[in-house]
Amino acid sequence: MVARDRLEQLRGKFGSAIQRVDLPGDSRLFVFVEPSVVKNICQYIFRDLDARYVISIGIDDRPFSGNFMVAHNFAFDEDHLLCSVLTYLPSNNPKIDSISDVVPAANWAEREMRDLVGIEPVGHRYLKRLVLPDGWPEGEHPLRKDFSWDHVPKEFNDEREFTFDEPPEGCTVVPFGPFHPTLDEPAHFRLYVEGEMVRGCEYRGFMAHRGIEKMAESVLGYNDIPMLAERICGICGCVHSVAYVQAVESAVALKPPPRAEYIRTIMLEIERLHSHLLWVGLACHIVGFDTLFMQSFRIREPIMWIAEKISGNRKTYALCVIGGVRWDITPVLKSELRQVLDKLEAEWREVVAAVSKDKNIQKRTVGVGLTNRDLVKNAGLVGPVARAAGVDIDCRRDHPYAAYDRVEFDVITAGGGDVWSRLLVRMSEVFESIRIIRQCLERMDDGPLQSPVDGELPVGRMGLSSVEAPRGESHHFVITGENNRPRRWRVRAPTYQNLQAVPMMIKDQQIADMTISLGSIDPCFSCTDRLETIDLRSGATRVWSQRELLELARAKEVRR
Amino acid sequence: MLKNLCQKMFGRSLWVYHANSGGCNGCDIEVLNVLTPYYDVERFGIKLVGSPRHADVMLCQGPAMHSTARALKRAYDAMPAPKLVFAIGSCACGGGIWFDSYPVLGPVERVVPVNYYIPGCPPRPEAIIYGVAVAVGLVDKKTAPIQLKQLVLPIPRYHPNELCGSGEMVVYERAEKV
Repeated sequence: MVARDRLEQLRGKFGSAIQRVDLPGDSRLFVFVEPSVVKNICQYIFRDLDARYVISIGIDDRPFSGNFMVAHNFAFDEDHLLCSVLTYLPSNNPKIDSISDVVPAANWAEREMRDLVGIEPVGHRYLKRLVLPDGWPEGEHPLRKDFSWDHVPKEFNDEREFTFDEPPEGCTVVPFGPFHPTLDEPAHFRLYVEGEMVRGCEYRGFMAHRGIEKMAESVLGYNDIPMLAERICGICGCVHSVAYVQAVESAVALKPPPRAEYIRTIMLEIERLHSHLLWVGLACHIVGFDTLFMQSFRIREPIMWIAEKISGNRKTYALCVIGGVRWDITPVLKSELRQVLDKLEAEWREVVAAVSKDKNIQKRTVGVGLTNRDLVKNAGLVGPVARAAGVDIDCRRDHPYAAYDRVEFDVITAGGGDVWSRLLVRMSEVFESIRIIRQCLERMDDGPLQSPVDGELPVGRMGLSSVEAPRGESHHFVITGENNRPRRWRVRAPTYQNLQAVPMMIKDQQIADMTISLGSIDPCFSCTDRLETIDLRSGATRVWSQRELLELARAKEVRR
Repeated sequence: MLKNLCQKMFGRSLWVYHANSGGCNGCDIEVLNVLTPYYDVERFGIKLVGSPRHADVMLCQGPAMHSTARALKRAYDAMPAPKLVFAIGSCACGGGIWFDSYPVLGPVERVVPVNYYIPGCPPRPEAIIYGVAVAVGLVDKKTAPIQLKQLVLPIPRYHPNELCGSGEMVVYERAEKV
């Protein structure tokens, strides 16, 4: 009944401005409000009701309702409630009051909305291009429905350079990236350095923006998208595919069978194991402790093999379909998985003992990359970064999905807020993951793997899903649509929020600590940049003859 | 011929530099995996270096993107000759699933010349080692290229406006070895 209580609070304060409310269950709340009160209502939810900011979404809804839409999503972690504040904007004047001065974490989301959908956040203090490549002409917004996913505007200018801000007085600029030895992915930082100390930085990223959301909205079907979602990120791919599938399932009220939920849980935890082991290895590599880098990769390898035995692939599991899973965990695999876990646990204890007593690692990480509760709240930090600062949030417990409500585990927190605490949190989470998998293996009953889906999925429903990725909360928002694909799909990867806080974390620190501070959030630029594009162009389907097709294909060849 | 040339030019240890121009990370991790105890390519003298100026080989992962093309080209130009480029993974080889998406330029060969292709999504560590071993002449190739006599792409592109809804079968021209 918490959702109703929250709704009553909102009604009491903004009664007349609330146009419509959808309350699909006790854990989801959609409130449609007038554009003029959006800022106030967000401020009330974020500050007075103390909700956690999740993401803002711009939606081109013109083909359906004739308007643009904006959604601001919030999470009430203690109430197990995800809430979305939606508003319609007129199609000829898509402008909305920026909420970034009351909710600082909305900074990037609003800039992205402006880049991709062309909705202008009025009052935003720093409206610089965020997502699109430098040479992209102004006024072309890829996520609008009248924009084709494979269209590159004629005015696109390959030569144009990004204009960076002026560095502060007395600072030298040190460029960092896009191809840097400690960065696995392209991203560019310009560090403003005074002597050895970093005084600030400017980030130019989104170089791995691949137009994924747009492709999902325009070319793929519901059951193809989990595969695409998996390729948002090579490390936490399964998280995205589960989150997408759950968002669709929650939109159309479909429940996967219990066995499928257990299998999803097991695969998610296997993924967390391999990701945390990888991260600890890389973090040690960054601070120069290469022995441990090698060790943790050696310990990690059997996890990859067992994942391959279950799903057929080491990374991209192709696990989910709408309403269930594809792969089963047979009794043989079960006993093998148990053995792998036993060995892993014993070996990991040794690693943890080695790392926690190592003075060198402590010297490099204690007091480095500091965050505190205020920063966590204002920048919307999630996952181990938030937990290491003493903020007790974990989607597995707060917004239970799959089989997490049927297993017991502890949420690990630490108080330091520095890189060292993050290291401790991640190392301990490995043991919790092992515990969860063991419980799942025990409690898993026989049963079907997929729920039947009858006919077309209903159109125009909204779904939210939060899944705890190894790096933090991965949040997906889906509006179902025609032609067997969603109308809008928005992915909010954990790094999207965590990365925004990196300039604050590295400020007034030694430049040599920059890499480990950045590494400590376990950045995943591909997730962040994913891109966002899903739009559904609903065109009339035409029937083509083979001759026409051949001609078309020829024309394409020539054009290439 | 390329093989002989390779053996001559890269007879000793190969130093590799990896450049991710916008992929998902999957191939990156497999490349890292190749360096660690189970697969251990250092026994072949292969070593990862941090700067393109020290490298003989560039491993490209991820499709070429509009935003990284220039940086990728610069990294390639910074490598001393003779140099080799490996495209690792489906995205680098052919653009991957996003080959025609708006921010994507396509396969990395649009930006830098590619000598070897290692496909897979992501390729297994064994596949990466095998690809490099073929290149430096440690093992023989198991496949040879064949050219198909086929003028046009028989499969319609999956575009809502081009969907073939008539149920007609598309007949492939018979493939022949040339």
